[in-house]
Amino acid sequence: MTSLEPHPPLSAAVRGRGAAVAPWISTAARLILGGVLLVAGALKVIDPQASVAAVRAYELLPTGLETLVGWGLPFAEVALGLLLLTGLGTRPAAAAAGLLMLVFIAGVASAAARGLSIDCGCFGGGGPVAPDQTAYGREIVRDVGLLLLAGWLVVRPRSRLSLEPVR
Amino acid sequence: MSAPPSRRPANRRPPNRAPNRRAEEQARLAAEQAAARRRERRILVVALVAFVVLLVGGGIGFQAWRTNRTPAAAPAAPLAAGAGATITNARPIVWGDPGAPVTLSLYEDFHCPHCAEFEEEFAGVLTAAQQSGRVRLELYPMAFIDEGSAAAANGMACAAEAGFGPSYFAGLFANHTLKWSDDQLIELARVSGAEATPAFTTCVTSKAHAGWVESINTAADQRGVTGTPTLFLDGKAVDMASLTPTGLETMIAEAAQQ
Repeated sequence: MTSLEPHPPLSAAVRGRGAAVAPWISTAARLILGGVLLVAGALKVIDPQASVAAVRAYELLPTGLETLVGWGLPFAEVALGLLLLTGLGTRPAAAAAGLLMLVFIAGVASAAARGLSIDCGCFGGGGPVAPDQTAYGREIVRDVGLLLLAGWLVVRPRSRLSLEPVR
Repeated sequence: MSAPPSRRPANRRPPNRAPNRRAEEQARLAAEQAAARRRERRILVVALVAFVVLLVGGGIGFQAWRTNRTPAAAPAAPLAAGAGATITNARPIVWGDPGAPVTLSLYEDFHCPHCAEFEEEFAGVLTAAQQSGRVRLELYPMAFIDEGSAAAANGMACAAEAGFGPSYFAGLFANHTLKWSDDQLIELARVSGAEATPAFTTCVTSKAHAGWVESINTAADQRGVTGTPTLFLDGKAVDMASLTPTGLETMIAEAAQQ
């Protein structure tokens, strides 16, 4: 069957395939970034004390703000995670998630630069750990990966399996 | 094969019938559609921002309520209230038969989530082992997470001194999401079936055992305890990652026979 049909010009074929694949890449980016945010947020929502302690361990914020961030940030992650998973407002949600990743990378890098030995508290827990148990490199690599996904979604927010109406 | 009839008149419309009007009409329609799209977009963005703001604001309110509410009674009082303990610097709170064959040393922070999970899973085994006279439990309440940890550790010492240590201990972990203000720590005595005597209340509010809490932290550091929960069985560190309640039961039974 296929062999009998005339071949379309190569460039058109490639463009066609690219246009068909890109929304699926965006879907994957949405699900990964949204899933990670939702899980990370939910794990921290469970224990507000631990979350505040994790923020405090960075020694970057005044006491009142530490509490607010420790209580509020997990819910912001849950909200962004839900938006990305459902595909509602993908571009602004991805932009916000990317901003969050930049803040996380800066926070972890600053903890490493100041010689603190803490757990990033990214998925609950957090706080001081033994010096040989820090994982700053891995934490930053993971956040950079998520930042790239967020960047992709800001550029190409249109995706399959999304609740947002596509025009 | 043929195009739908409805499309034909549009294509065949004579060009001299006001082509400008048609173009204007189309432009107007397109502009209207674009405006409608923009309006829809604006509504969506406003709705999404409202969703995020409400969730975060509500979340902060929810956590404030959760950490400030009054403690609830622990599911079951673990051990009968014993005689009041003496609090000595760098020495643990001790429960169970002093002549028991096995000694367990437990290092926990009252705000450590893994400690709360450990208690939920292992409290039954630990209590049974103390009741059967096989285990003498040494409790080292560390305080490194926040002020609440230190306040709770101090309250723990006050309760042990007053003779209701075990039920207070269970209550601290059953309510581990509380921030542990003085009022909450005093209220916990009441819901633990004890009486918040003036001596206990003063002990809590004046942080009478703050020095002891410090000394326990130092003692834990010196023993090389870097995280909680940490458990030693007759002085040997227990691997917490692979520990199960039945595994701990077996370890206690084997150690008791030696």
